[in-house]
Amino acid sequence: MKVSKWSERLFGTPLPDPVVITSFLFPLLYLVAFLVIPVIVMLGTAFEYNGHLSLYWFRSIFGSSYYFNPHPSDYLVKTIEYGGKEVYHFYGWDFGVVLNSILVSISVMILTTLLGTFFAFIMARYDFPGKNIMRVLLFIPLLVTPFVNVVVVKKMFLPDGIINWIFYEHLHLFPKPIWIDGLVGVIIAQTITYYPIVYLNAYASFINIDPSLEEQAENLGSRGFHLFRTVTLPLALPGIASGAILVGIFSLEDLAAPIVFQGSAIAKKLMSYQIYSSFVSGFAVGNPQMAALALIMLTIALIMFLAVRWYVGLRQYAMLSKGGRWKPRVAKPKWWQALIIAFVAVPLLLITIFPQIGVVLLAFSKTWYGTWPSGFTLENMKAIVTQPDIEHVILNSVLYSTAAIVIIILLSLTASYASSRFKKAKLAPILDSLATIPIAVPGIVIAMSYFFFFSTVPPFKGSILDPTNLLYFFPGAALILAYSIRRLPFAARSISAGLQQVHVSLEEAAMNLGAGRWKALTSILLPLISLNLLGGAMLSFVYCMSETSVGITLGSINSTWYPITAKMRELIIGAVGSANLAAALGVFLMLVQITAIVIANIITKQRYSFIGLT
Amino acid sequence: MVDVKLENIVKTFDGTTALKGISLHIKHKELFTLLGPSGCGKSTTLRIIAGLDYPDSGHIYFGDEEVTYLPSYQRGAVLVFQNYALWPHMTVFDNVAYGLKIRKVPKEEIKRKVEWALELVKLKGFENRYPTQLSGGQQQRVAIARALVVEPKVLLLDEPLSNLDAKLRLEMRSEIRRIQRELGITVIYVTHDQEEAMAISDRIAVMNVGTVEQVGTPRDIYERPKTEFVASFMGKTNVIPAKVVERNGDKVTVEFESFRLDGLHYTEKSDNVVLVIRPERIKFRPGENTVSLEGTVDLIEYYGFFTEVVGLFGETRIIARAISDKEIANLRPTQPVTFYIDRDDIIVLPKQNL
Repeated sequence: MKVSKWSERLFGTPLPDPVVITSFLFPLLYLVAFLVIPVIVMLGTAFEYNGHLSLYWFRSIFGSSYYFNPHPSDYLVKTIEYGGKEVYHFYGWDFGVVLNSILVSISVMILTTLLGTFFAFIMARYDFPGKNIMRVLLFIPLLVTPFVNVVVVKKMFLPDGIINWIFYEHLHLFPKPIWIDGLVGVIIAQTITYYPIVYLNAYASFINIDPSLEEQAENLGSRGFHLFRTVTLPLALPGIASGAILVGIFSLEDLAAPIVFQGSAIAKKLMSYQIYSSFVSGFAVGNPQMAALALIMLTIALIMFLAVRWYVGLRQYAMLSKGGRWKPRVAKPKWWQALIIAFVAVPLLLITIFPQIGVVLLAFSKTWYGTWPSGFTLENMKAIVTQPDIEHVILNSVLYSTAAIVIIILLSLTASYASSRFKKAKLAPILDSLATIPIAVPGIVIAMSYFFFFSTVPPFKGSILDPTNLLYFFPGAALILAYSIRRLPFAARSISAGLQQVHVSLEEAAMNLGAGRWKALTSILLPLISLNLLGGAMLSFVYCMSETSVGITLGSINSTWYPITAKMRELIIGAVGSANLAAALGVFLMLVQITAIVIANIITKQRYSFIGLT
Repeated sequence: MVDVKLENIVKTFDGTTALKGISLHIKHKELFTLLGPSGCGKSTTLRIIAGLDYPDSGHIYFGDEEVTYLPSYQRGAVLVFQNYALWPHMTVFDNVAYGLKIRKVPKEEIKRKVEWALELVKLKGFENRYPTQLSGGQQQRVAIARALVVEPKVLLLDEPLSNLDAKLRLEMRSEIRRIQRELGITVIYVTHDQEEAMAISDRIAVMNVGTVEQVGTPRDIYERPKTEFVASFMGKTNVIPAKVVERNGDKVTVEFESFRLDGLHYTEKSDNVVLVIRPERIKFRPGENTVSLEGTVDLIEYYGFFTEVVGLFGETRIIARAISDKEIANLRPTQPVTFYIDRDDIIVLPKQNL
């Protein structure tokens, strides 16, 4: 075989091997075609005005007080009349669309960090009765129930909601009932939804700190909060920070909370909602101003993503340990710590798992006005298997998700194989970044860029992927592509973790004994990582099924091809009582997730893990 | 007939040169050892012979066939990995049979050959076990059987004994030697343990920072080291910096501290030299051709089957090794002592920058 310098430089092997080349080029070309180029096409639209390169659309955004308003209007909290009573109405200052999104994202990051770190520290460092129950309960908020959990949050914080029922009517802790609405409602809903991500990252960080580091500090006289502030927290900070940033990005792109709270005008003044509404209203689709807004959103998300990667990369010292005893530092709480656990942690936990419980209640009830739902019924759950339009969307989602999973597995297998086995290749770091970056690309940005890309660039223009081609547009194809990009990092992470556990010598031994690369791959590597493959596939499947942003935009153009989330959105904003049917779909999604998690736990014997950024 | 020839092999990793032009000729049926400290390039050389890495320049020949860029799977130079690289999802039988299945050997013959290989490494009856159910020594035998069963042109062993305990190491050492003789195959062996290398090898190449310092039989290397590095790497030895002060044909007079030693063999140009003296060659009574060194006893260390006397000569410490207690019965620390060394036992080598 001929040796080639370019093969060595690009692919890390001097012999151009078809398996290696495919492993690099397939994921690379796919990601370039369905992530990089669409974003570039959208970029082109945003920077074009009357056929010229121009900042017009960006100027139009920052020049309008609707989008950018440094002198806020509206109020954070005010006493208003509600049903003949005075209530505290939490609403939010209006800084304009762009700043509102940033401020909501920052608020959610701060609140989830406090809440997540608080729970993580308790779970990692204290031993108390009921801890195992608490550990299981902490996973409940992770169950994704698009829209309906926010519906429950909204109901909880109404003046006659359950929060006031407990804290105002029974415990008399509030001087007046509270009503959480508007942007504050969005912030609270997102905080409750996303804090377990910080919790899991922070928990892992606390557990992974070498106990001797804290023992040494104690040995030198540091105690209590000083010890936490000077040793424990700095060592756990990279993990906490990457969890917090992930939450920040999720908050930025979240559509569920703004849509559910859209009754108050300010909740619509968020970037994600603005782009979404341009899809829903139809006529504004293709508006370059929305492309510019999407680009601003993408830039913010990417800056957050790159900043945390850079920061975590600087602080890789947390794992310096030289063996020895590794007994986690778990203590019995002192009396005042026990009080905090009992009267702060437990109530907070119950409040944050209530949305999922509420979804179940909603699904099994006829109506929910006031504090509690009423009228037990099985009709909503039955509808899942009897009502044709509901059955139909479930089938669609399963179809799209399954197709996406096949692509995701192929992509993450080839990409992880190429970038972990041929580290010296010039293409390896590029591939590695491209495969992780979808985490930082808001779904609504993907939807927007697909719209511009497929409707303007041949050969997609006029094809089944072209959303403006009303006769032939097949949303399923666009959704499968979007799912495969958006959920790739989940599977890629699991599979590359598996690849790292398989020493490269196992493949080398096979090739050395006469197996070609393909044979070594299929007979040695694949069987050895099959569990990671399965785990990654199931995780991605679950998140494809509950994908929201693209599902309710590109996916809701034609009701024949609705995925589950598109139907749920329709039900939520639709007729009275249809939220109960949406909740039934939420229960169905929870069951799918629980099944997947349980199977993954049994087969892989690994604890269910959520994603982090690093 | 498979002899392995390496011509001027150069290999760079991330800008640092791992191999700086290695040339070696390994003969048919030879057990040839690459010996050197970690990082000297011996494992890289082995991987290049196996076809798992490719050199930047240079050529490799198996017999007359150039194999420099032949993929590993077409080469027939089978490597036994340092970590054994047994596939955990396959039984011992499947591990060993793997190479035969690739070669599409008929089923019956596979069975026969695997049986033969397992018998050779004394693991008959372990066919259905999984690697994790075996001890370290057994795992290693499986790795060797897996390599041997495909009848490799060359068998490559990468530090095969480094993961075994001391007793097992000795056992496996003679086992490998036995198998190599029985099958009459060419074996290239990598180790950093000089004692292991001497015991097992037909010939040894001593490597240091990407170059071959010396190739020769164990006896050659030990008794006639060609460089200071080889001398100091091959077991405990005295290496004394000295200066040539007088030349007379191939004989020289050298000086260190206040001592002058004459009539030593040396033909190199450099006047900066080291004197290499094996501890066991130092005697406590004069002989026909000896030079003498007068100093004081610094330390006496009892090792059981020999005793070491460390003498202090000016600022220089020299170790002597006595097999019988009689010759050193009168010696006490701080008391005077005289070391006698045969002129032929003093090897004069140019000083190296190590």
